[in-house]
Amino acid sequence: MKNPLYKRLFRELKSDFGKYIAIFLFLMLTIGFVSGALVAGSSMITTYNETFHKYQIEDGNFELSQKVDQKLINRLEKEKLTIYNNFYKEKSSINNSTIRIFENREKINKVCLMDGKMPKKVNEIGIDRMYAQNNKISIRDNIKVGGKTLKVTGLIALPDYSALFSNNNDSMFDAVKFGTAIMTKEGFCQWSGKTHYSYSWIYDKTPSSETGKKKRSDKFLKVLVQHAVVENYIPEYANQAIHFTGDDLGGDRSMYIVLLYILIVIIAFMFAVTTNNTISKESGVIGTLRASGYTKGEIIRHYMLLPTMLTVFAGILGNITGYTFFKNFIANLYYSSYSLTTYHTRWNGNAFILTTVIPFFIVLAINYLTIRRKMSLSPIRFLRHDLSNHRKQKAVPLPRFKFFTRFRIRIMLQNLPGYLTLLIGVCFANVLLLFGMMMTPLLNHYKEEILKNQMAAYQYILKAPIKTNNKKAEKYAVTSLQTTFQQYDSEEISIYGITSKSRYVKNSPKKNEVEISDGFADKYNIKKGDIITLKEKYKNKEYHLKVTKIRNYPASLCVFMNLKKFNQTFDQKKGYYNGWFSNKKIKDIDEQWIQTTITKSTLTKTTRQLEHSMGSVFYLFHVVSAALYMILFFVLAKVVLEKNILSISMVKILGYENKEIRRLYLRATAIAVAISMIVTIPTSYVIMKAIYIPMMRNAFAGWLTFYVKPSIYPQMFLLGMICYFVIEFVLYHKMKKIPMTDALKNVE
Amino acid sequence: MFLHISNLKKSFGTGDNCTEVLKGIHFEAERGEICVLLGPSGSGKSTLLNIIGGIDHADSGNISINGEKMEEMNEKNLTIYRRKHLGYIFQMYNLIPNLTVKENIEVGAYLSKKPLEIAPLLKTLGLYEHKDKFPSQLSGGQQQRTAIGRAIVKNPDILLCDEPTGALDYQTSKEILTLIEDINLKFHNTVLMVTHNDALKAMADRVIRLRDGSILEDYKNEKRIRAMELEW
Repeated sequence: MKNPLYKRLFRELKSDFGKYIAIFLFLMLTIGFVSGALVAGSSMITTYNETFHKYQIEDGNFELSQKVDQKLINRLEKEKLTIYNNFYKEKSSINNSTIRIFENREKINKVCLMDGKMPKKVNEIGIDRMYAQNNKISIRDNIKVGGKTLKVTGLIALPDYSALFSNNNDSMFDAVKFGTAIMTKEGFCQWSGKTHYSYSWIYDKTPSSETGKKKRSDKFLKVLVQHAVVENYIPEYANQAIHFTGDDLGGDRSMYIVLLYILIVIIAFMFAVTTNNTISKESGVIGTLRASGYTKGEIIRHYMLLPTMLTVFAGILGNITGYTFFKNFIANLYYSSYSLTTYHTRWNGNAFILTTVIPFFIVLAINYLTIRRKMSLSPIRFLRHDLSNHRKQKAVPLPRFKFFTRFRIRIMLQNLPGYLTLLIGVCFANVLLLFGMMMTPLLNHYKEEILKNQMAAYQYILKAPIKTNNKKAEKYAVTSLQTTFQQYDSEEISIYGITSKSRYVKNSPKKNEVEISDGFADKYNIKKGDIITLKEKYKNKEYHLKVTKIRNYPASLCVFMNLKKFNQTFDQKKGYYNGWFSNKKIKDIDEQWIQTTITKSTLTKTTRQLEHSMGSVFYLFHVVSAALYMILFFVLAKVVLEKNILSISMVKILGYENKEIRRLYLRATAIAVAISMIVTIPTSYVIMKAIYIPMMRNAFAGWLTFYVKPSIYPQMFLLGMICYFVIEFVLYHKMKKIPMTDALKNVE
Repeated sequence: MFLHISNLKKSFGTGDNCTEVLKGIHFEAERGEICVLLGPSGSGKSTLLNIIGGIDHADSGNISINGEKMEEMNEKNLTIYRRKHLGYIFQMYNLIPNLTVKENIEVGAYLSKKPLEIAPLLKTLGLYEHKDKFPSQLSGGQQQRTAIGRAIVKNPDILLCDEPTGALDYQTSKEILTLIEDINLKFHNTVLMVTHNDALKAMADRVIRLRDGSILEDYKNEKRIRAMELEW
């Protein structure tokens, strides 16, 4: 015979539909989101990994100052590799953006046509899908590129530009201001102006490990520099345009899983609190069942069935929504950040285990342990409604507060375990909310700081010391070195040589001073007096610099020294420079001598791209946190109300008005919510900082200073309290419906 | 003897607060007997019933039912013992609110390998017309009938009744007592009924009166009267 107790599960569900549907939907959507993220992420990673073979991604590329003859190519190819031309031109286009135009590639870095057709005529162009999306360009649009009008025939993705880095040294790419494009051979040749003589290579046998690849590329570089003037050299493993995407696609996974499990643990505790409350309510029934011969196991299984079944169904439906709706949502997030090739969804058994099987066991374990503890009491204790674990617990003496205050404190003491769950849940919701709320102001603050500390409106980096007639321009020198901190990946640091009494750099470094930017100091925990060791990128020469000052310069990780010291340090001739600071555009230097121009737009690239690709995710965090608040508040305030139904009924008989009863029972939870918010907002700041700083150190090139806009704290508190008062409004109506007869009927 | 209890002792609390609620109880009951345990509040009658029911423990003494010794049973065996041999009826009906009358009785039937047929039982209980109602739709008497149905559907050897009419009016109480009596006659189970209503002794085969944890009197009724004829 099937256990007849199971028949009540559906009715139990129906009788408390609001509570269960809220928890169920929250669980389902969370599982759906994470499942979608894992499925989309793993499908993307698989597709991304396959692009290396499918689209023949290069093993590296180098740029030379001029086109080389076949003889040199033949010499270089003796290094057991094949070299391909991959020339490009850069032209300005709409919204002050730059398009890097390649000739159609057929052998390496093959083009993935995402939509439309490949260009066939001279005036046709295929442009990067994401760049097009960001600049609202559609197929068949005519766009201005380098002064010519071209027809967009298709949207493409170049596998060697899945992250649209215009410069491999940038800390972030900018898919709004930079895009790639392909044209026919004739179309490509029509352009005048500078051609970038970029060559890509593919090894005859590609080393499997990164160390192997590094050895090969170092060896090849040694040969290359002997034969040509190398302007740029990027082995595949160090190419951010290729690898940034892959690193990021994998990086989200653990964050999503941790997020899911923390939410599941909170939900499991909410289930445990509500089940405990049901057990207390049904104490007499349980006592009778146990006295009649029902085993502990049968009762435990009965009370565990609903939460575990809900979790299983939420998991199954969550996976269905994950594979349908959320997968596309996450994929679109990836597509709005990266220029990925077309992908196919792959069944991910691991995602099912992570999002359904493990949550099921978490809910099972937490509920089992909680219910088992309760069920260890004897049947007679249940019959006597004596479920307290501490026998004859003494009343906590309270000071001579007003009656209402003392009453509310008693309610709070009665519900301590529930309020503890509330505190933990609110703390976690606050961490999520803080992240969602802080990031946009953090990026804005970073942007403001960068612009406030911008050295000059135009900062030119030249390929050689070229003079200008601009009287207000000021020369400087710059080079880049790599960090050598053992526990972190090597990162590029700009080294500036600034003239004495500079008009652009306030309090410019004196003769022997070495200053580092505050971002550099914060990221690697460097203090004044420390000696830092930096090395040249493609060589092993090391430089040991003693830090004499930390300079407020958030734009990048850099070192400042006097120009004379710079030239001495880097063995340059006296008076050497390779850059100009100017507040007005320098027009008398030929473009071919300019390596980079740093402007306001260049400096704010990181914040713009992060805001663009992550903005919607930040808002998602607002929604998830608010939903978590609501569910927590609803479930726990309802438990408090249900525990006190008889008392509420009794105080109604005594003549208390509904508003007074609300002040007694619901306001106790309001106070608990307010306390939880006040306690956990600073805690969430500490937790967020503890997560943020290692994340920036390990996973981000550059440094975004940790900053929380002070107005966020009251906003968080306000949002939490608003969520509570919405719930209180709903529960107040439930409370008003509690009949007075309950007290008369059910008192034993 | 079907039920044999000897030298049963039980106390609550420790030191100065120690209260001896059962001071060496000894009595026996035959199979099929109705045995009424009488006494004022605090006399120990409910504690005695709970110990016989295996939901409370004696400090010392022995209980054997049909030759099975309770003091030798661990918790698991006690549960099996209750499952196999006992039916419990309380003053508060303790029905499951979101199960119907029939389903509440099925909760008892589930525990037995050979439960009674539910439909005839519902008729015996006078609940057939109410079988699909929830407990909240029933009167107190009907709820207690359902609780009795749940206890007897597994056809227990012993029916333990703790103040089964304590929450009911006079007429309903008589109906419930009649029902218990009918069931006893029909199924020959031993009934142990705790009550402080002295009038109920007339319907018992055996009367045990307790005071302050000791048996004040223990006698067999030579001629018991039908429950419907009781007056108080």
